Amino acid sequence: MDDFACPRCRTTKFQNPSLKMMVNVCGHGLCESCVDLLFLKGSGSCPDCKIPLRRNNFRVQLFEDASVEKEVDIRRRVLKDYNKKEEDFSSLAEYNDYLEEVETIIYNLANNIDVINTNKKIEQYKKENKDQIQKSKGRLGKDEFELEELLELEKQMNEARKQEILLEESQAKKKKVQRKEALIDELMFSNTDAKNIVQSFAQQAKEEQEEEAKKPPQKKTKFSTGIEFGRKSQVSFLPVPTDDGPLYQYTPVTLEPDGPQPPAENDVITKGFMNHVRTETEQERAGGFQTNIACMRALQEAMMGLYHTKKVQC
Amino acid sequence: MFPTSTQCKFWMFGSEEELNKLRESANTKHIQRYGRNVGESSKYDFFLTPEEEKIMVKRFELHLRDFCKRFQPPMPRCVIGTAFHYFKRFYIRNSVMNYHPKEIMVTCIYLACKVEEFNVSIQQFVANIKGDREKATDIILNNELLLMEQLDFHLAIHNPYRPVEGLLIDIKTRGSLHDPERLRPGTEQFLDRALLTDAIMLYSPSQVALAAVLHAASKLQENLDSYVTDILFGEGGRDKLEILIDAVRAIRSMEKMADSPPDKNLIKVLDKKLEKCRNPENNPDSEIYKKKMQAMLDEDDDLYNAISQQNQIRDSSALNMSLPASPEVA
Repeated sequence: MDDFACPRCRTTKFQNPSLKMMVNVCGHGLCESCVDLLFLKGSGSCPDCKIPLRRNNFRVQLFEDASVEKEVDIRRRVLKDYNKKEEDFSSLAEYNDYLEEVETIIYNLANNIDVINTNKKIEQYKKENKDQIQKSKGRLGKDEFELEELLELEKQMNEARKQEILLEESQAKKKKVQRKEALIDELMFSNTDAKNIVQSFAQQAKEEQEEEAKKPPQKKTKFSTGIEFGRKSQVSFLPVPTDDGPLYQYTPVTLEPDGPQPPAENDVITKGFMNHVRTETEQERAGGFQTNIACMRALQEAMMGLYHTKKVQC
Repeated sequence: MFPTSTQCKFWMFGSEEELNKLRESANTKHIQRYGRNVGESSKYDFFLTPEEEKIMVKRFELHLRDFCKRFQPPMPRCVIGTAFHYFKRFYIRNSVMNYHPKEIMVTCIYLACKVEEFNVSIQQFVANIKGDREKATDIILNNELLLMEQLDFHLAIHNPYRPVEGLLIDIKTRGSLHDPERLRPGTEQFLDRALLTDAIMLYSPSQVALAAVLHAASKLQENLDSYVTDILFGEGGRDKLEILIDAVRAIRSMEKMADSPPDKNLIKVLDKKLEKCRNPENNPDSEIYKKKMQAMLDEDDDLYNAISQQNQIRDSSALNMSLPASPEVA
């Protein structure tokens, strides 16, 4: 990359380490300052092939070979429209045919073969599959989604590690300062030989350092990529088992009172049972607790089991 | 619901004889187990007879009642009723000589407090006990699980108190009695005494409640017979009336016998006898008991050590495996 120069101003990476090569749709490179210069007047064209360019189509060059850059660009443009996924096809062969077609189009465009016809083909495809393209645009591929998630995780990990290192450094610095102060204090107030004190302090510092080096590294439970040991990278849940048994049929609970039938709920309210029960307070009503429930319960319990007898069964 | 409860299914018995038989078998089982070298003829010189066991249980039932009445903060009646059930159930299957009723009694009350949602802490609870509170705490907490196990974890108890309320509501609404609230003191007294009898294990809570109400009415020279026969059992219950009349009669006659505190001299004798023949494995003052507890503790420690050791081995082996895998460690 070092001997690579901007085709216009001939600046090399060696002359200007901060040189940034930009590339446009045509696949010809240009350095950043030349791009600025080119668009000073509002619009410009490529100095190599003279086709008119737009400023926002310039990108930082990632590949050494500018033609690769061009192909990547074309690929991106084509795939924007040809965005069918494997799930959209009924068989693998169909999908492979489709991929072949896409590759042909990209190759033709990148190598200037039959450009007019190919472009026409794309236009036609666009027209025919307008709905499908719109739909697919919205849905990010599953792979892309997972990749994004992984990237995000890695970013967080890096951040955390940076913080940790910073903390460690500041602690070490603090310790050093403390040690220095202690040494000075000792030298000022102690009446032993200064040489001895300095020596003993140096010894101590050395020991501490050694100890730190000896400290076992922290137990790792994750790889550097943030994936836990012994676990697959992508935790996928088992599909929820669907029970295809017969549908549940509700059968109302029948009360076996083993005694006289207690009055029904309606009767409790209408026949004056409620006159002999304390009315519920406001708080109780807020909790959904009404007097007739308590009354019903008391009556039920009074009647239930009145016929109870164990003797007959024995 | 009483008819579907565990109380109805597993803890209702046919007759007093059946109960006494169960108690006797608990007694003989205990003697068979611990008195192998005592002769058949002289076994009751050392061990308690079933009759003596019954007296002891009765005595501690009275204790239980007094303890609950004096309890601070005052406890609701249903706690007392529940505790009585637990206590009675426990000594149907167990001998007094195996587990001292004094200890089981407090445990029953403590468990009943929990089940009936009467919230007291163990500190609050033992504050009501005279003597060594720390020891009492240990006894209660050590026995709690045992008690639940012996009850087969059938902890829900149907007490006759709510049925009484229901009957009073019904009498006020459908009956013709003047001021049924007058029945209340008599009813409560009756229920308190009925707890001391076996009636609560023979008859359903509603039957006990009805007997209590009828008893209170007859004391006030009132007659509720027409209410029972015409209104309560009016529709389709005529043929069942006989069962009820028998039940009520039996409960009332049992209640009459309830309140005869055992002779004091006899109690002293029995206390001494029990102190000698009680199972030392379950006596918190004995050496054997202390050794047993220590052994249990040691076992726990051993278990803990074994587990932690295993964990350590696993950890270190996992770490070794990770060494080549993770570049940062290396």
